[in-house]
Amino acid sequence: GHYCLDINVLIIVFTEMRDKLRKWREDNHRNSEQIVDVGEELINEHASKLGDDIWIIYEQVMIAALDCSRDDLAWTCLQELKKQFPGSQRVKRLAGMRLEALEKYEDASKQYDSILQDDPTNTAARKRKISILKAQGKSAEAIRELNEYLEQFVGDQEAWHELSELYINEHDYGKAAFCLEELMMTNPHNHLYCEQYAEVKYTQGGLENLELSRKYFAQALKLNNGNMRALFGLYMSASHIAASPKVNATVKKANVKYAAWATNQINRAYQVTKTNQLPVEELLLRSS
Amino acid sequence: MDEPELLLDSNIRLWVVLPIVFITFLVGVIRHYVSILLQSDKKLTLEQVSDSQVLIRSRILRENGKYIPKQSFLMRKFYFNNQEDGFLKNTKRKVVPPSPMTDPSMLTDMMKGNVTNVLPMILIGGWINWTFSGFVTTKVPFPLTLRFKPMLQQGIELLSLDASWVSSASWYFLNVFGLRSMYSLILGQDNGADQSRIMQEQMSGAAIAMPADTNKAFKAEWEALELTDHQWALEGVEEELMSRELDLDGMFSKELPTGIF
Repeated sequence: GHYCLDINVLIIVFTEMRDKLRKWREDNHRNSEQIVDVGEELINEHASKLGDDIWIIYEQVMIAALDCSRDDLAWTCLQELKKQFPGSQRVKRLAGMRLEALEKYEDASKQYDSILQDDPTNTAARKRKISILKAQGKSAEAIRELNEYLEQFVGDQEAWHELSELYINEHDYGKAAFCLEELMMTNPHNHLYCEQYAEVKYTQGGLENLELSRKYFAQALKLNNGNMRALFGLYMSASHIAASPKVNATVKKANVKYAAWATNQINRAYQVTKTNQLPVEELLLRSS
Repeated sequence: MDEPELLLDSNIRLWVVLPIVFITFLVGVIRHYVSILLQSDKKLTLEQVSDSQVLIRSRILRENGKYIPKQSFLMRKFYFNNQEDGFLKNTKRKVVPPSPMTDPSMLTDMMKGNVTNVLPMILIGGWINWTFSGFVTTKVPFPLTLRFKPMLQQGIELLSLDASWVSSASWYFLNVFGLRSMYSLILGQDNGADQSRIMQEQMSGAAIAMPADTNKAFKAEWEALELTDHQWALEGVEEELMSRELDLDGMFSKELPTGIF
């Protein structure tokens, strides 16, 4: 009767929590607060039911805990992992990450160096060292190290993206564009890379770059009709070109047409939102 | 006219057919765990990792270079292929061909492969042939020609017996390949008991295990890249985009997800 119902509910809740964690892990979500909430309860209440999954959950929860400044939870997870996998490089990296979170950068760096001594091909440790430089605000060094890293591991997309961000922060748009080109080639269907590339080109300015930017905004839109930033970008780049005194009449006419089309689409998009907001307006009217 | 069907002693079913299935399955499972124990880690050098990534990048440039502007493509093509210091043209690696004689680790790998796979199969096949000999075990559901008789009816000297009736050894081999899907169910994919997959790998492994010849790979990539021209995919992108209205269904209409579940 009553007991059975409670246990069933608990079991359902447990499996849902575990599956949610797995989904977040697979999709690489960084919703750290949620992961800490769900993961902490899972570890404390249901550790026995998790079986071998528990180790990867410890890793996931530890990283989330570091994001939320929960060193107590991170320490617990780390200890469990150390006990189970003594001498593991993966666990050493986690220990290093914890030191980074505590801003003990020297110690963290030593930790990563020891991993690299055993295994010079360990990319995770090298990337963590670069993150330390970034956290310390040493952008120029970080950029230099990241460039060296990429010379050896030319296929690391995460690294290319990080480098593009670093260059953008340093206003070195030409080099940022290079990095984004690498990403566009390896991910030709990703509209976000096209859009970022277009934005960098637009920022660089000059007629040629504006043309490129307009083209890549259009490509981003082609890949994803819903990318509003790309739509606005298309409008702005086309308008800019049309307004420039250096273009001939044909080009000007074409860009005016493009800008008009973009305006039209923007209006359509906001029409759609207007109709969706109607119930909200009614609600507001009623409550007043 | 169909021959009268042979009626087999039901003891055959109990003491031959089932035990062979059982034995094959067990041996497969044991093989899986033994292969896990004997697994040796292949350590790749930094240079090998790096080179393989460079080759991938060159290939991606050839295939997807059309998505980046022409200048960018040409710049990269120049970096790889140019006469004086192009990477693909001028990088020479020290190549040690991995023949079994010179590379000791390859030798042990081959030996391990043979020990865990071929040897048990031969041994057990022979043992089953010896133990369960002298009688017919089962009938395959399709007709076979007489040529199969000596192979499948080992130990049964009957000239007039239909070739579809086979001996226990044949039943054993049928099992070795047939239990593959059972292994996948129970041991998960990529298990060490999957005989046919292992044999396939050994055959293709001989073809793939040529990463050591990086120089040849570089040369091949260089040639392929030389031949590649840039056809910009974005040439008419505005016209293509603006040929129809944007699909704005579902924009801004989804509620933001609240809560965890």
